[in-house]
Amino acid sequence: MKKLAVIGDTDFSLGFMLAGIPETYEVSSDEEIVKAVEEVLKRDDVGVVIIKQEYLQKLPPVLRREIDEKVEPTFVSVGGTGGVEEIREKIRKAIGVDLWK
Amino acid sequence: MAEVQPTRMELIKLRRRIKMATRGHALLKMKRDGLIMEFRQLLEEAKEVISGMVEKYKKAQQKLTLAIAVDGIVAVKSIALSCCQIQPEFSMKRKNIMGVVVPVIKREPVRKKATERGYGILSTSMRVDEAVEAYEELVDAILEVAEIETTLRKLIEEIERTKRRVNALEYRVIPTMEELAKFIAFKLEEMDRENIIRLKKLKTKKAAT
Repeated sequence: MKKLAVIGDTDFSLGFMLAGIPETYEVSSDEEIVKAVEEVLKRDDVGVVIIKQEYLQKLPPVLRREIDEKVEPTFVSVGGTGGVEEIREKIRKAIGVDLWK
Repeated sequence: MAEVQPTRMELIKLRRRIKMATRGHALLKMKRDGLIMEFRQLLEEAKEVISGMVEKYKKAQQKLTLAIAVDGIVAVKSIALSCCQIQPEFSMKRKNIMGVVVPVIKREPVRKKATERGYGILSTSMRVDEAVEAYEELVDAILEVAEIETTLRKLIEEIERTKRRVNALEYRVIPTMEELAKFIAFKLEEMDRENIIRLKKLKTKKAAT
């Protein structure tokens, strides 16, 4: 059985705590975000990580690539609008056609 | 490729290899097309799931803001702390789509009845209940998104990999082998011609003596 984890600021995490998720990493600075991501990656009881959309952009590209490729845990970005562009780009590269989102 | 002796045996072996490579190429093309079909289907579903989740997120945020406004942040925070008794958990299994290993997330129903939530229902207002319910729904949606996004990603990887192999066979491996086969055939022909000329010369020599 795997758990969920949340990485976000206090307001963001509050809602998920209401849903019962105790594993919240409350971050407020860029370094804290990076640290939280690295910590979560080391754990293997976490299956899905809910992270605030904008934080993904603040991560160094190496870390981002790692998150992208990892299946355990899966990172789901919530909130922002730009999240779908990445997948769209990948699809276009792989299949050649923009099957767009 | 290493230098091959221009013998008939080599030519036969080469022709056999070309046949196999061509067959493999056709199969890989089918696999590639099949994967792309599966992918397109899945993409439609994914679009819905993801936009559904985005909606739920907005709704959940609204309900939370409302609850905080009405009941105060302190009350909501203390409720949040007591909610964490019962964690949502899920199991990740694997499924196989056309040879690609893909996750299946089975969630234990995240939604709990009002009485099981770990806080007193009498002392909290309905808004908090609504916020909690909205977030629970959101978590369900998020798990669905996680499953589908990962599946999409894996399919894309496999599609790219297969595509590369198809192209490698079509534009590199098979043409190179065919070139080589042509070369060997040419050389064999040349040797045949030389032999004929040699035999002729011998014959004329013999006839002369």
